[in-house]
Amino acid sequence: MRIELEVWRQDGPRERGRFEAHVVDDATPEMSLLELLDRLNDQLVEGGQEPIQFESDCREGACGACGVTVNDVPHGPVPRTPSCRQHLRSFGAVTRLRIEPLRSAAFPVVRDLVVDRTALDRLIRAGGHVDVMTGTAPDADAVLVTHDDAEVALDFAACIGCGACVAACPNGAAHLFAGAKLAHLALVPHGRLERGRRAVAVVDALEAEFGPCSTYGECVEVCPAGIPLTAVAAVHRERLRSVFRGRAD
Amino acid sequence: MVQDMTALREGQRTRATAPFPSTFALKLVMAVTGVIFIAFVFVHMIGNLKVYGGPASLDSYAQWLREVGYPLIPHKGVLWALRVTLLVSLVAHVGASVILWARGRRARGRFRRRRSSGVTAWAARTMLLGGVLILGFLVIHLLDLTIGRAVAPGAYQPADADGTIHAYTNLVASFSRPWMAAVYVVWMLVIAVHIWHGWRTMAQDLGATGHRLRAVWATLGALIALAIVLGNALIPILVQLGVIA
Repeated sequence: MRIELEVWRQDGPRERGRFEAHVVDDATPEMSLLELLDRLNDQLVEGGQEPIQFESDCREGACGACGVTVNDVPHGPVPRTPSCRQHLRSFGAVTRLRIEPLRSAAFPVVRDLVVDRTALDRLIRAGGHVDVMTGTAPDADAVLVTHDDAEVALDFAACIGCGACVAACPNGAAHLFAGAKLAHLALVPHGRLERGRRAVAVVDALEAEFGPCSTYGECVEVCPAGIPLTAVAAVHRERLRSVFRGRAD
Repeated sequence: MVQDMTALREGQRTRATAPFPSTFALKLVMAVTGVIFIAFVFVHMIGNLKVYGGPASLDSYAQWLREVGYPLIPHKGVLWALRVTLLVSLVAHVGASVILWARGRRARGRFRRRRSSGVTAWAARTMLLGGVLILGFLVIHLLDLTIGRAVAPGAYQPADADGTIHAYTNLVASFSRPWMAAVYVVWMLVIAVHIWHGWRTMAQDLGATGHRLRAVWATLGALIALAIVLGNALIPILVQLGVIA
């Protein structure tokens, strides 16, 4: 398979970026997007050039480290799939790929395809965690969680924090990410103890670095964890709840 | 490289404070004023249905609007209270939307995606343009049938000294012009798209997370948008067809 690539090259955060054209002649259908980049890097190194920098870790869709924009779609043409799980066999007739970093003002480019996503970490630091002393493990059945609550909490906890939702959003909003965290922690016993405080802290952090949500729904289309748009409503539900309740829990 | 990264982090630390007024508050303002507008447009549509009862029915309704509550409330008291509420809501709705739009642009940064997915994203993208169009149509509508200047029909009759209103005559005179009838039909379609997406976003902004609530909400929104379009846009069409004359 012959794949023509246009890849974003940028030497540093303050440098100007540009697209560079490359061709990989020996690509195979079972290659993932990242393996295609690996192959291209081998080629570049053999030719004495600098390899293209990109992030990856588990390469099985669990870690959220990878993420590039392919032909204008964060993660790539296969919907709701991380870059590492996007395989050339699923691209159909598409053999020209334009690969860029995840684009958002909150994600400055570090180099080539690597972006700084610590804005998401700052949001987690602000309130996306459990901050109460949990003590020793309780007796079985001492703290009851319904099966439904557990399932829904787990569905929202599935977020891998890749940041594709932010890159997909025409407003640069991170409501899907923040909402998944808020909805998840509001349903579990320890998280529930600081629901109000968390909602205020997370929404403040969210608004400090990200845009407003206008229900474009673009985030849902690229989310590899399948977080639903309901997560966005959860941001406002939790924040409104804290307004009416006026307490930390 | 290391220096660049340090500068990057420091740069980010300085802007990490929530803006004022908060995006959350602005979104609530949009949602609440949106409810007011949808309620108004819906009630206005019901009033418009009086046109099917003939001239006396519509004109007496228009007159009632000016006298409702009298003598407890002065003449035109309710009408002006509604007008002021709508005007304040309009300023708040437009003001909030401009601030939110600017924040969205800033947060997106300089790279814009050209590809978008589906009808929801399309409706969202049209919101700003739709809002501007609706406002433009509103000016035409007020000049045409409330104030009676500029785009008003040549046969426009202002209210008589004794308070008799010629709403029906003016409406038929205005809608008899094909271009004006078309303007109203297009206006209603634009409003329908704006309401449909606004209604959806409202559920998000007011924190509706339940499955059933969201399903009921979506159905209700579609019905309201449909009722407003059919109820209103049929009138100019029927005037053109000669059914209302």
